[in-house]
Amino acid sequence: MARRQWTSGEADRAEFREERRSLFRITVAPTIWALHFAASYAVAGLTCARLADDGPDVVLMRLVIGAGTLVALGLIVWLGWRSWQQWDASDEGRRLDDQPTSRDRHRFLGHAAFLLSIVSFIGVIYTVLPVLLIGSCL
Amino acid sequence: MTSDATHPSRAGRGNPEPIGTFPPTEEMLSEPVPEELARAQEERLRKTWETPKGWRYWTAVNNSEVGVWYSLTAFGFMLLAGVLALLMRVQLAVPDNDFLSAETFNQFFTMHGSAMMFLFAVPMFEAVAILILPAFLAARDMPFPRLSAFGFWCFVIGGVFVMGSVLFGVAPNSGWFMYPPLATKAEGLGSDIWLLGLSFIEVASIAAAVELIVGVLKCRPPGMRINVMPLYAWYVLVVGGMILFAFPPLIAGDFLFEMERSFDWPFFDPERGGDPMLWQHLFWIFGHPEVYIIFLPSIAIAAMIVPTAARRPMVGYSWIVLSAVGTGFLSFGLWVHHMFTTGLPNISLGFFSAASEAVVIPTGIQIFAFVATLMVGRVRMSLPMLWIAGALAIFTAGGLTGIMVAIAPFDWQVHDTYFIVAHLHYTLFGGMVFPVMAGVYYFYPFIRKQTMSERLGRWSFWLTFVGFNVTFLPMHLTGLKGMPRRVFTYPGDIGWDWLNMISTIGSFIVAAGILVFAWDLIRPKGHQPTPPRNPWDAGTLEWTHDVPAENWGTRSIPYVTSRYPLWDQPKLQERLDAGRYYLPDAAEGLRETMITSVIDARPLQVLRVTGPSWITLWAAAFTGGAFIVPTFHIYWPAILSAILAVACIIWWLWTSTAQIPEAEHKDVGLGLKLPIYVSGPEAPGWWGVWITMLGDSTAFASLVFGVFFYWTADRSFPPEGYPFVDMGLALGGAVLLSASWAVNLWVRGTARRQSAMQALALAMLLAIGGAAALIASAALPGLDPTAHVYPAIMWALIVWIVAHVSLGVIMQGYCLAGFAFGRITARYDAPLWNTCLYWHFLALQVLVAVAMTALLPRVL
Repeated sequence: MARRQWTSGEADRAEFREERRSLFRITVAPTIWALHFAASYAVAGLTCARLADDGPDVVLMRLVIGAGTLVALGLIVWLGWRSWQQWDASDEGRRLDDQPTSRDRHRFLGHAAFLLSIVSFIGVIYTVLPVLLIGSCL
Repeated sequence: MTSDATHPSRAGRGNPEPIGTFPPTEEMLSEPVPEELARAQEERLRKTWETPKGWRYWTAVNNSEVGVWYSLTAFGFMLLAGVLALLMRVQLAVPDNDFLSAETFNQFFTMHGSAMMFLFAVPMFEAVAILILPAFLAARDMPFPRLSAFGFWCFVIGGVFVMGSVLFGVAPNSGWFMYPPLATKAEGLGSDIWLLGLSFIEVASIAAAVELIVGVLKCRPPGMRINVMPLYAWYVLVVGGMILFAFPPLIAGDFLFEMERSFDWPFFDPERGGDPMLWQHLFWIFGHPEVYIIFLPSIAIAAMIVPTAARRPMVGYSWIVLSAVGTGFLSFGLWVHHMFTTGLPNISLGFFSAASEAVVIPTGIQIFAFVATLMVGRVRMSLPMLWIAGALAIFTAGGLTGIMVAIAPFDWQVHDTYFIVAHLHYTLFGGMVFPVMAGVYYFYPFIRKQTMSERLGRWSFWLTFVGFNVTFLPMHLTGLKGMPRRVFTYPGDIGWDWLNMISTIGSFIVAAGILVFAWDLIRPKGHQPTPPRNPWDAGTLEWTHDVPAENWGTRSIPYVTSRYPLWDQPKLQERLDAGRYYLPDAAEGLRETMITSVIDARPLQVLRVTGPSWITLWAAAFTGGAFIVPTFHIYWPAILSAILAVACIIWWLWTSTAQIPEAEHKDVGLGLKLPIYVSGPEAPGWWGVWITMLGDSTAFASLVFGVFFYWTADRSFPPEGYPFVDMGLALGGAVLLSASWAVNLWVRGTARRQSAMQALALAMLLAIGGAAALIASAALPGLDPTAHVYPAIMWALIVWIVAHVSLGVIMQGYCLAGFAFGRITARYDAPLWNTCLYWHFLALQVLVAVAMTALLPRVL
């Protein structure tokens, strides 16, 4: 079979290869938010409904959700840091990423992932507020 | 010449690679096409894409035809649902009115909500997307045109059936969210009509989602990388993904609900361990994301109109992407805010209250990006922009009351009052109706090659805008004064009468505005001069359309290097028209479009898409029969109808998809030759199966959620002393089905036709044996699904798996026949890849189902 001769319009570096996985990667931070949200809801539901025979163990619930929150926030911060690096992957600093080049596409995906990790971070904080503020099942 | 640019397509043994040059050089692009040749090409393209004439017109599957039918039908249902609203407003205009009976009023509000949601808002998104998405992407058509047509006809049949029930006084009457026990115990056919009719339409929605996701990911023009694709495509991608996770829980809920209605399986009956709350959860896990499924694609229209009006690129493209994706995710964490008064623990309410506030962040960001674009641009207040401005004003007001009702204690005060009615209409009018109207004015010259009237448009806008506020602004107060929703009348001495009168007057002003719009839409415009090709000076590819109209979608498929190609690529239009870009010809007389890679839109394949056919209508008619006939509790004709529907779909796939081509490659122009037949993860069909099965797994996961829900909510689940599913038979079934999966996978790797056929026959037998073992595992120990919810949910999981195994066996049989008749070979093996992919998902579901039925209850 004849080999394609892709003429490349720019100096693609290896890291700018077509990132088929990176489209999914921008959804990782919000997925962590979703998992944290669902897990917190499940833990609270179990504590306050199913296992509430001798009075719900709120302290344990708050510890479990608190630990889960630290893990979720840690992961999101790490993802955010990685995508910040990806966004800044050039010598020119952060600028618009609207050119039809592999570099701009790479930076764009980094930028989108970075912004989504910020929103996810705030989302996780919001989720945990009721646990911090209420302190019981009520 | 760089090696990193090639990307391996090892999937599908021996998928051929593209040959030649990409991207095209400036020199290649400026090479003229001889006039003689160009004219011959145009003639061939025109003939290939010709719309059928006469009564065969209805066999058309082209996105431009189906999209117009789809949107007009949805608009028609909207007018009907609007008439119901007016009749209700007449009833409520004065106290103690007897214009409508209580029963009629119940049917009307149920149908008004159901029709606006299921027959107008969601289908309108699909309709508009089918109509304009290919144009944004300069694609000739959607990847699966017959699927769009099938979805449309399903929608028409289901919609007419559901809507028609109002005329016979048997419409559903339990509210658009059909809460049990009211809805499960309701007399008559209403609840069944709602469930089966709308399930049918939900299937059509998932079909559209598959089509649109594959369209965005695989049908972009060469060069249109993911960071330059139009924002509209981003929104469609997000919404398609949301549909896959939002609609399936409702389908699972419908399945449980109908099993209770038809066969007395007590899923929502507390006397036998059931729980009506499960329905509320499943419904709102669908219902809240659905609000955003309606909102995002409409705001996507705004995202196309705003840059055009501001005459500059959108400010903060990545921020809008963040906003769309972020809203898509967060909207799944809101569903319990519809259930604040159901007695859930307050801590649980707190989570949903917090998420409901958090969703404001991404939603707000996109509004600020729009406003920023308008501020830095040179705004031309065109008619579409006027509607968008109205939309932003109304939506923001609705968003502010949304923040109020997201706070649980406030919601307890106004729950089920007219305050909520006001809130939801502000969000839906601002978030959906106004942007869609803007879109109709904006895209009309593209769709019809005519313009709508500026004067009538302004009349329509001001009537609708003023009328809307006159109707719904007072309702906030009506609600705060305590008037509940859904009451058919009220006494005159408690201060609600004048507010209701104002609302009724306002509703007729809105109706006048909509009628002006409807008249403008359909009035003959033959005497008008043809509008310019790009009347708004927009920058996106839909305005490369042909005036007068041509059916080929695009004369040639351009090489795109900008977010706003018409602004930034000055020679694009001329070259596109001259046929200097890709696929300028239809030499074989077959409908073709280009498939490109997901991230960077590198050309991969020439996809031959399906053309006009009656089979989509037949398939939709029989599918309709399979859903509609059971409404009347008649089952044999329904089963027959289902079999015929499957037969139609098999015939359609057999005769028109994955045809073995006459050559491996096709010259698409500009020195590039692309493969015609591709199988495995490079092929759009494989993506279609993958996306469908993702949705299918979500529905299955909802059933699994049901098991855990019953366990959490009820201390005696599973009930003491009740028989378990037989462990040996269940595990045996899992082993047989896994063996079937493994044999199927082995076939994909073999090159020998004879052994492939024998193996497929074996796989079918193993699968049938496995399904039988699973049925026996519940039947032999005597699990009676009507006795208690525990056996009922066990049976529901088994019925689900057995139905899927049946489909899996049909697919294996299809592959067997394909080998026998030479339609499938070791090289041309796309159906085999798709069947294997289906079985991957099925095998996983089997393992989970066996764990849930045989193992889990023993542990619990």
